[in-house]
Amino acid sequence: MTFKRIRLGALLFSLCATAAVQAKEWTEIRFGVFPQYPPFESVAADGSLQGFDIELGNAICTKLQVKCTWVHNEFDGMIPALRARKFDAIMSSMAVTPARLKQIAFSDRLYLSPTSVIVRKSADFGDTPESLKGKQIGVLQGSLQEAYARAKLSQLGAQVKAYQSQDQNYADLLNGRLDATVTDKLEAQLNFLTKPEGANFKSGPAIKDPTLPLDIAIGLRTTDTELKALLDKGIAAIHADGTYALIQKKYVGELDIYNE
Amino acid sequence: MNDFFSNGLQGFGPMLVQGTWMTVKLALLALALSLFLGLLGACAKLSRSPLLRVPATLYTTLIRSVPDLVLILLLFYSLQIWLNDLTESLGWDYVEIDPFSAGVLTLGFIYGAYFTENFRGAILSVPAGQLEAATAYGLSRSQRFRLVLFPQLMRFALPGLGNNWLVLLKSTALVSIIGLADLVKAAQNAGKTTNEMLFFLSIAGLVYLLITTLSNCLLKYLERRYNNGIRELAR
Repeated sequence: MTFKRIRLGALLFSLCATAAVQAKEWTEIRFGVFPQYPPFESVAADGSLQGFDIELGNAICTKLQVKCTWVHNEFDGMIPALRARKFDAIMSSMAVTPARLKQIAFSDRLYLSPTSVIVRKSADFGDTPESLKGKQIGVLQGSLQEAYARAKLSQLGAQVKAYQSQDQNYADLLNGRLDATVTDKLEAQLNFLTKPEGANFKSGPAIKDPTLPLDIAIGLRTTDTELKALLDKGIAAIHADGTYALIQKKYVGELDIYNE
Repeated sequence: MNDFFSNGLQGFGPMLVQGTWMTVKLALLALALSLFLGLLGACAKLSRSPLLRVPATLYTTLIRSVPDLVLILLLFYSLQIWLNDLTESLGWDYVEIDPFSAGVLTLGFIYGAYFTENFRGAILSVPAGQLEAATAYGLSRSQRFRLVLFPQLMRFALPGLGNNWLVLLKSTALVSIIGLADLVKAAQNAGKTTNEMLFFLSIAGLVYLLITTLSNCLLKYLERRYNNGIRELAR
């Protein structure tokens, strides 16, 4: 028993003593990321992070000559963790929404994430919300698109169905149970339209609606105004020297996801 | 084996092994902490002094009524925010509660409450005459505990301890929510990157099965040991 007691005492002591000290100057920026959203952020086989956001973040840090570290965190817990100072910035494909703006600040735009309607190439609807009257529309459960579809498209006479994953939307679109899916245009482009099974489908234009945010940006604590200025400078710098264009080409090909 | 790791798991083998190690480490440290808290709590709960009894009763009642997930999130986020406010007002540097310590402390704290009840029941099952006889023989307090009470209470406590251990082991999956790269997190990361979620989650399930099977063997052995000298009833 004595031995056990000493060991436990040592354990408790070492647990209590884990403390990290943080510098006041911005020599290091800790990014919070939820790496389960390829191609924007995911974990490679060797355990390293890969993706569009990761390369953008690292490029920004190189420009600013600061050290970048990445902290894994669940997406649901991003904002509480940011406020608890587990990291300094959220770099995880987070869209700027009015609800989030009440809690945190955002940097300048990283890229756009428009919502659009995916339909068969032969379809004569999908270009406007009004054209979806009487159609079966699939959305991802819990997404901004679901909220939009239930609020607006249902009123216009569309039948809205919510699915657990976006893949299930595509499956039902393929077998004809759905006439269209309302989703993130970029996601559809990368995970469906460019794949063999999506060859007969097309995307309509971006839907303009105040409840559908466009901007993806870096989330920041409202008090860190100088960090926001620093990161905005970094974003401008990678645009100016063409680094952004290179990374964009590597991940999304010819698409212009900053301006489109 | 090397071939299996590099091809069969699409190169994610080492990551899964690291995740497994993290899970085992977390579970064992949390177990040690909760056994310690459990024995302490049980003694406090059985004490005649209300100063010990009341806090111990509060501890087991409160902890056992709040979901593990809620406690983990509370400790990791809210406690950190309060700690920040405190260190800031005192002008100290930022003190981080890292995910591993938070995981060990929370799981140990939660399961300590279950172990408390476990040990309390076991202590009450040891006939009072045993301790009275030990006192009559002139054994000191620590001798009484070590030589008479502990070996006998373990016999009653082990089945419940084994149960709680298995639940604790699986609860470690909850810490993946605070960013710790445990087995479940590693499997999810691998599944998301390769688009084969089901496959990697099944692997994780098999690893959990392996660990629980091993611990069941160990528990069987311990039960036999602490049942020495007791005739086994017909099963």
